Amino acid sequence: MLPPTTTTDGLTALPAPGAASPWRRISTGDDTVAVAERAALGTTARLAVWPPESLGAARGAVDSVLSALDRQASRFREDSEIAWIHRGGGGRFMLSNGLAEAVSVALEAARWTGGLVDPTVGDALISLGYDRDFAAIDPERGRPAGAPVPAPGWQTVRLDGPVLTLPAGVRLDLGATAKGLGSDRAARAVMNAAGQAGGVLVSLGGDIAVAGQSPRDGWPILVADRPEDQASSLTQHVRLAGGAVATSSITCRQWRRAGQVLHHIVDPRTGLPADGPWQTVSVAAATCADANAAATAAVVAGQRAEQWLAVAGQPARLVARDGRVRCVGGWPDADGGRIKVSPASQVYRGSRPGVLR
Amino acid sequence: MNAERDPRRGQVRLPAFADSAAAERQAPEAGGPALAGRSARARRSGLRRVRRMSNWTAAALIVGTGATTAALAHHAVSVAAPAAAASSSSAGVVTTTGTQGANGPRVSHSVATTSASGVTTTTTSTSQVVNGKTVISQVRHAPAYHDN
Repeated sequence: MLPPTTTTDGLTALPAPGAASPWRRISTGDDTVAVAERAALGTTARLAVWPPESLGAARGAVDSVLSALDRQASRFREDSEIAWIHRGGGGRFMLSNGLAEAVSVALEAARWTGGLVDPTVGDALISLGYDRDFAAIDPERGRPAGAPVPAPGWQTVRLDGPVLTLPAGVRLDLGATAKGLGSDRAARAVMNAAGQAGGVLVSLGGDIAVAGQSPRDGWPILVADRPEDQASSLTQHVRLAGGAVATSSITCRQWRRAGQVLHHIVDPRTGLPADGPWQTVSVAAATCADANAAATAAVVAGQRAEQWLAVAGQPARLVARDGRVRCVGGWPDADGGRIKVSPASQVYRGSRPGVLR
Repeated sequence: MNAERDPRRGQVRLPAFADSAAAERQAPEAGGPALAGRSARARRSGLRRVRRMSNWTAAALIVGTGATTAALAHHAVSVAAPAAAASSSSAGVVTTTGTQGANGPRVSHSVATTSASGVTTTTTSTSQVVNGKTVISQVRHAPAYHDN
């Protein structure tokens, strides 16, 4: 399942395929909802459900979704579907429904953002040193990163139903949308497992989708730069009754090459890490894939981020490198404010989130 | 209201009505012109009353149907909404809805944080017998994927 990273005696060992980290219960102070989390997709998956009795079924539903998404779209798994496509060196490929949906969402996100997020940044990330699971990257290396590789462009990729046409030398990275897609799928799967009763919140690395009936006044969520941040003057509490909220930030997933600090949000136009004024952007949208794409697009857009978000009509909270905070598009200024999202998705064209797994 | 309408426009008279109207013009009644005039007025008045009642009935039916439709539509939305996690609009653009829980629980503490994606690492150990010796391998890993 995973690339071997550290071994003794030169032996390599892989975790058993499909082995999932165990869930652990989280106490938040409210016993009206059940909360649990586990490691998943190189980050943390968190699940909150009500009524609390539905947690068992919810965990199973989320496990199933994450396992399928990992098999479909991880470029770090030798046995993933997308790795198989990349080994083909270009051509036409018949995709599974799940990967076809993931590629479709990535291409729609690229179209919507005018290429600010682009799934063809795979080689750009590899050249910068993000060529394996992040936990396995050597954070300090004297050797400089490779030459920047601008993205070939999402327009070079064609998807006709389940048939993908990929030019030779183009490597896909679905990172700008896949985690959001996973949250959308998982939230929907939990509601199906619960017979549409109660409500659910699913967070994959801080990209959050909610479904069903929310608690009164919405799900309480902390907005922060880093996952370990506690409530402070730099964080904000918000309430989300429907839709999704996602955050992209350059404050995590950093590494160094020859003294240069690099991070994982790449500007497709240059092939270099985005260098704009915003270090963290949180966006609320109809679906988590929308929010995920818009947050990353805003970081890449730099000075134009506020303008782009205004045109896109998405509530957003932008944190500048100097700590300045801007709230746009109806994002609440006050602590504890409710976020209202636009009901229409821009990235799920012709498909319904979570139907294709 | 009926008096302002030409009863002959756009309406098909019942044969009996046409016949009686013709009879009014052509065949004087046995009681003389005065009696005939009275009975014709009474007939016209009765007909007007019947037509007015049928119009009120039609209006009541229309109003009733509208009210029933509105009530059913309202009922359908209120029942379906909590179950709807996603639905498609007519333009094919997906809309996602969650509903604010009027009946949902009160939750006062944050249940999740939206932030940069943290990196999760775990360590697993595997043992293997190589040339008669047990070799323990440690693998530092995280379930594969990354964020962007």
